[in-house]
Amino acid sequence: MRQPNLLKAVTVGVAACLTIFIIILLLLVVTHPSPAALLSSITSREIQFAVYLSIVTSVASTVICILIAVPSAYALARYDFFGKNAVNTIVDMPLALPPLVAGVALLLFFGTTPIGKGLAEAGLVFVFTPLGIVVAQVFVNFPFMLRIMRSTFESISPRYEYVAKTLGCTDVQALWQVTLPMATSGLIAGGVITWAKGIGEFGAALMLAGATRMKTETLPISLFLNMSCGELELAISAATILIVISVASLYVFERYGGSTSL
Amino acid sequence: MLSIEHLSKDMGEFVLKDATLQVNDGEYMVIIGPTGAGKTILLETLAGIYPPDSGRMVLDGRDITDAPPRERRISMVYQDYMLFPHLTVAENIGFGLRNQKVAQPEIEQKVAEAAQFLSIDHLLHRYPETLSGGEQQRAAIARAVVMEPALLLLDEPLSALDGRTREKLRRELRRLHDAYGITVIHVTHNFEEVFSLADRVAVIRGGEIVQVGTPDEVFRKPNCEFVANFVGVENLFRGTCARKEGLSEVTIEGVKMVSTALADSEMVCVTIRPEEILISPQPIGSCARNQYSGMVQEIADHGVTVRVTVDCGVSLVVLITRQGYLEMGLAEGDAVFVAFKASSVQIF
Repeated sequence: MRQPNLLKAVTVGVAACLTIFIIILLLLVVTHPSPAALLSSITSREIQFAVYLSIVTSVASTVICILIAVPSAYALARYDFFGKNAVNTIVDMPLALPPLVAGVALLLFFGTTPIGKGLAEAGLVFVFTPLGIVVAQVFVNFPFMLRIMRSTFESISPRYEYVAKTLGCTDVQALWQVTLPMATSGLIAGGVITWAKGIGEFGAALMLAGATRMKTETLPISLFLNMSCGELELAISAATILIVISVASLYVFERYGGSTSL
Repeated sequence: MLSIEHLSKDMGEFVLKDATLQVNDGEYMVIIGPTGAGKTILLETLAGIYPPDSGRMVLDGRDITDAPPRERRISMVYQDYMLFPHLTVAENIGFGLRNQKVAQPEIEQKVAEAAQFLSIDHLLHRYPETLSGGEQQRAAIARAVVMEPALLLLDEPLSALDGRTREKLRRELRRLHDAYGITVIHVTHNFEEVFSLADRVAVIRGGEIVQVGTPDEVFRKPNCEFVANFVGVENLFRGTCARKEGLSEVTIEGVKMVSTALADSEMVCVTIRPEEILISPQPIGSCARNQYSGMVQEIADHGVTVRVTVDCGVSLVVLITRQGYLEMGLAEGDAVFVAFKASSVQIF
């Protein structure tokens, strides 16, 4: 008889338990209220507002992340410059920083510095407004976009651009016509992750934009507010929507992200 | 005409040192050198990817040292094709023409012509990843030649291909060069490509061009020990080739040699490795197809091995062990017999 492989049994067992635990947790949330109660909560004005605000802020922050991260990632992947290592480390910093700390820092920047005050006088108020939510999401999430795009650009041989340049492209055209189209899977994967993280962003947004019902109430804020005052059904409907979004974005990431790595 | 004058570039790992080289119009120049010799950096500097540290490049009377790549009229083909994966074969080939704002019907016509010449016209609608290595390299070559470049750079274009595909594509390159008279610089570390393609050959080492000449000159008269060791081909002959009973019979200055290798053309180069030739003072009882009698011209003692040059109509270099040499008691002027198998005769 063949010797049973103990190591395999134990390690597979651990992985299986973990998977089952995650599934149970998700099902618990989704099945807690009755379907009718869930439906009426989801269609309530408050949750509708939270969905709308979450989508608008997360789409805006994702677009801004792409605009910031793509050029920086390209520079870090292609060029050598003074201080490159330092830049590489520091741009990853927000990943390691607790979001609450990032939020406090942003609050200080926009609330107390001349730059923040100048922006407020010019009409761009970030403290306790939806704009603050966007800024908080961008600050916390752009490292995801940056890391994914950096590894994507690094995986594309610069020789494609060399060939494109001998075929009549300027530097910018070579990037636009060759490297960016080749980086599509990275862009999709990075965009989806950044957007999903943006939808779920809580800590930094709470610090900078506050938790005001029907004003800065995104889905996670709504979950927090309703949980604190015992509105369990509303809280859980917000949680359910967040779960659906997470599952869907994970699927898109796995399906279209190719070999992209974080 | 391209002239490269005292070109230097230091990229750390790879360097180019004071390279000076002239390539004439319509010439097929092969640059040969070991890995890391600075072959690719030379081509990429020519293409304008990096600015040189010093030196000048003049193409058809125009100083292109500081010109951006797109204004040089130089096309480049890499070993690993570098076809754009998001474009079809036709879009890849037409990429450069589209950048030049050539009218669509003209692009289509030129793409079709180039594809037909390289026998990939049935693949135009496909994406590169669905093509074999040989087909991808044909597409990459087509993409380069539709630009009608003043200079075509080929960076080890055949190295990633398997034996038979390589052989076929090598013939295609020759045909392409003959048909369009393009000036070519072809970088390789493979000797066969030198014999079958090169009008002239340059040997590069450590970023320096150490010898330039016709393949005959460089291979027969290496100007330094490095070239001699690197190209190190002895028993190199030029002759005319005829088919005979499924074998090739090559006539070199009146001496006939039989080879199992088949040649592409009538004028061929032949080599026999010195260690594959048998030598003896008595007639050799062997079934080897090539047997000659001759006279020992020269004996060079290299310690463990001894190099014996035998005149049997052509000069053959034979490498034997010291022990064998002592047992036979050979001396210069002795009459000897030599023999080698038809399979030992390489044809290029």
